[in-house]
Amino acid sequence: MSVPEQSLITDEHRAAIGQKSEPATVVINEIDAKRMRDVLEDKDPRYADGTGIAPAYVIAGMGGGPRRGMPQILPGGLLTQQEWKFTRPFKIGEELKAVSQVFDIRDRLGGRYGYSVLVTQGTEYFDSAGEHVASAMITITQFDPKSQRKGDE
Amino acid sequence: MSQIYFEDINVDDELEPLERTPTTDMAIDFFGRDNPTNPAFSDIEAGKRLGVGGALVPGLLKLSWLTQYVSDWAGLEGHVRNLRAAYRRPDVADRPLTLTGRVVDKRVEDGKNLVELEVVTLAEGQPSTRANVQVELPSK
Repeated sequence: MSVPEQSLITDEHRAAIGQKSEPATVVINEIDAKRMRDVLEDKDPRYADGTGIAPAYVIAGMGGGPRRGMPQILPGGLLTQQEWKFTRPFKIGEELKAVSQVFDIRDRLGGRYGYSVLVTQGTEYFDSAGEHVASAMITITQFDPKSQRKGDE
Repeated sequence: MSQIYFEDINVDDELEPLERTPTTDMAIDFFGRDNPTNPAFSDIEAGKRLGVGGALVPGLLKLSWLTQYVSDWAGLEGHVRNLRAAYRRPDVADRPLTLTGRVVDKRVEDGKNLVELEVVTLAEGQPSTRANVQVELPSK
């Protein structure tokens, strides 16, 4: 695909900005936390088996995260920016509600793909008391791989 | 794991560099073999189609490493409060990354001892991920 003559961002895409999703349920799973600790060779005793606490980076594997429901305008995508905030540690076995929303959609001319679309979306995680636990925000740069400049492969 | 205290920290203090070599197995195991992930994390050809030059290292794995790196530095009584990362260049599996960081600010805010760090992953000496991290440290 060459550079489009006009933006591929439609009114429908723009209407998605600021709309909050239905809450998704996420459980902090001990098996997932242990597997991720093992891959990272994390020996921090705060997160060891039996402590009931999961390391902050389990947020990386949580379902219901910021990619959920993200508008897909172009077929390829690379994670280009990310933010995590933690209000308190995650507890093993706790059930969280994840609410996502699109914050921004914009397009960009130039770069290795000629034309790309940047979508920023975030998710807030709340515990059963409605208290904020963490949040995650990502920006995905969407592109058409066929538009890649020669020499960048 | 030793404990570092707010009073001992100075702006421009550097963290001890740490080397990590991401592999395709790590990328898959981190998210779980039963969970769907980007094919480019394990398939060199899929990575090449993205223009990466090999199997893509997941950004989430790199940010998790940086979280662990700073968390270890902050010690058992320290807490990582937030991280904001920009992925400057894709990284390719089996190529070593060096994690480095330095203190850029320290302050007391609402009674909390806050330290701001800049941390990076370096691939062949060039930053591939840059992150700003805020940690809370204990006082002596």
